[in-house]
Amino acid sequence: MLEVKQMVAGYGRLTALKGVDITVKKGEVVFVVGPNGAGKSTLLKTISGLMTPTGGEIRFQGERIDGRGPETLCRRGLALIPEGRHIFKTLTVQENLQVGAMIRKDSAEVRSDMEMVLDTFPILRERFKGVAGNLSGGEQQQLAIARSILQRPALLMIDEPSLGLAPLVIDQVYDSLRKLNETGLTLLIVEQSTGRIMELASRIYVLRNGKVVLEGDREELTDTSALDAAYFGFSSDAA
Amino acid sequence: MRIFERLFPVLALVIPLAGVVWTIDQFGSASVERVATEALIRLVFAIGLYIFAGNSGIVSFGHMTFCAIAAYATAWQTCCAMLKPITMSGLPAFIRDNTFPLLPAALTSIALAGVVAFTSGLILMRLSSLSASISTLALMFILNVIYSNWTTVTMGSSTIVGLPVYVTIWIALGCAVLVIVIAYLYQVSRWGLMLRAAREDEVAAQASGTSLYWSRLIAFTLSGFVAGLAGVLFAHFMGTVSIANFFLNHTFLIVAMLVIGGMQSLAGAVVGVTFISVVIELFRRAEVGFSVGSTQISIPAGSQELILAGIMLLILIFRKAGIMGGKELRWPWSVRDDGTVVGVGQVRLAHSADSHR
Repeated sequence: MLEVKQMVAGYGRLTALKGVDITVKKGEVVFVVGPNGAGKSTLLKTISGLMTPTGGEIRFQGERIDGRGPETLCRRGLALIPEGRHIFKTLTVQENLQVGAMIRKDSAEVRSDMEMVLDTFPILRERFKGVAGNLSGGEQQQLAIARSILQRPALLMIDEPSLGLAPLVIDQVYDSLRKLNETGLTLLIVEQSTGRIMELASRIYVLRNGKVVLEGDREELTDTSALDAAYFGFSSDAA
Repeated sequence: MRIFERLFPVLALVIPLAGVVWTIDQFGSASVERVATEALIRLVFAIGLYIFAGNSGIVSFGHMTFCAIAAYATAWQTCCAMLKPITMSGLPAFIRDNTFPLLPAALTSIALAGVVAFTSGLILMRLSSLSASISTLALMFILNVIYSNWTTVTMGSSTIVGLPVYVTIWIALGCAVLVIVIAYLYQVSRWGLMLRAAREDEVAAQASGTSLYWSRLIAFTLSGFVAGLAGVLFAHFMGTVSIANFFLNHTFLIVAMLVIGGMQSLAGAVVGVTFISVVIELFRRAEVGFSVGSTQISIPAGSQELILAGIMLLILIFRKAGIMGGKELRWPWSVRDDGTVVGVGQVRLAHSADSHR
């Protein structure tokens, strides 16, 4: 579904991604993990069109998409939840969700999808008319996820869904992500910690200093020492 | 009842305005009526500015440009048939030698303002927030320099006199109500919602499929039309047009009104304009002085401006989001988020009042 080949991207003279290859197949949950400054957020920003890559190519459902703007990509079924719970704080929960469904014309289906996300995230139904800024951190993350679901994306990319959330709340968020994956949604998730990703991941990439240093299916990486070694940059033998 | 509830944010603004206007029309003196009419025209302009600035979060200092363009356009078409060929000899012949009916003149002038807003917006709306604000100011300076020096067409910095005066308090009210309705319909529309989302978070709005450029351009154009309407009303209320009236003084007065009322809601715009207009008028009268028995009491000249500045300072310190705090008035008997019905008599604001967590 998504193929990233030898992608190079950066900020001015700083190259954050130095030739990254990543593949996401339909129905998978792919995790990209790595320490601070590894280029994880840059990766998602570039795929979603918020940044333009300086080299390499990105294909989404067979078509070249590098260099296209975020609005276009969003209409093609590529959704991104940026890092740090980007919700529209002074708008109500209802309006936040409406913005998510904005690109769609099929109003009857939007209504039934709206019911669906409100069933998935009951707290949002409770606070439907309230201002989004009054929600707690976990609720805001759920709202951000719900909003992007309403775009009916083929691929949903999430930048650090667990950032700044309490363990119990992270469980809820991961729980809802699993449910969404079971309905057929493909996920590409960036996380900083390797802790909780094993239960959900179909495949994992470890990114360090702008390069993929390890990739593998969940089964291949059950021995977490290799993962840790790649993450922290030891050679595997030493670890 | 639900329809009434949905329209409440508009009705709650329009009905009191109409009430005040009716009272003034019945019992007020001619001078009070003049002041109220001018305030209503300012309201039209302030709402025009709000359509763009309130929804996009980008303050525009340049909307007087569109006001001036429409005012001059209607002056060219309707003013002084005898003098026009001499004083404004540079006008195209068909405008110079003809006088046009009032309504078509008004409509074409408003359309011209809208077209100019769209054209300048094509460039300005590519800029990010602060640069866009400053560039609107630059736009106003450009227009000011051109119109002050284009002597054969605009009479330079002299005043064009002799426009037909047809704007009564009821016409001003009608226009104010019209633009309140337009502004409300826009802000709850798809494009208005997108723009408000972009105001809160550009990245997330883009990721939801919003084009920052187009959503801002649409608002800028619409607000240009409304500012144009205000320009036509000004021109046909005063009967005169002078470029000096469409410059910094007026711009900052109206920006101040929006800031004090609350930039981010329609109710804020209405409350701000009303409140400041009343304050200005009260202190202007106090400056002129009134007599108690045989003694004449007055406050020193210039205190009106000082008091206005003081009020603005207090608002900025204690209530940054303005008097209305960015909220619309909401139907007071509606069901709350938590399911309880709010008691009768309490006016609730559109957003729940809990402090931000």
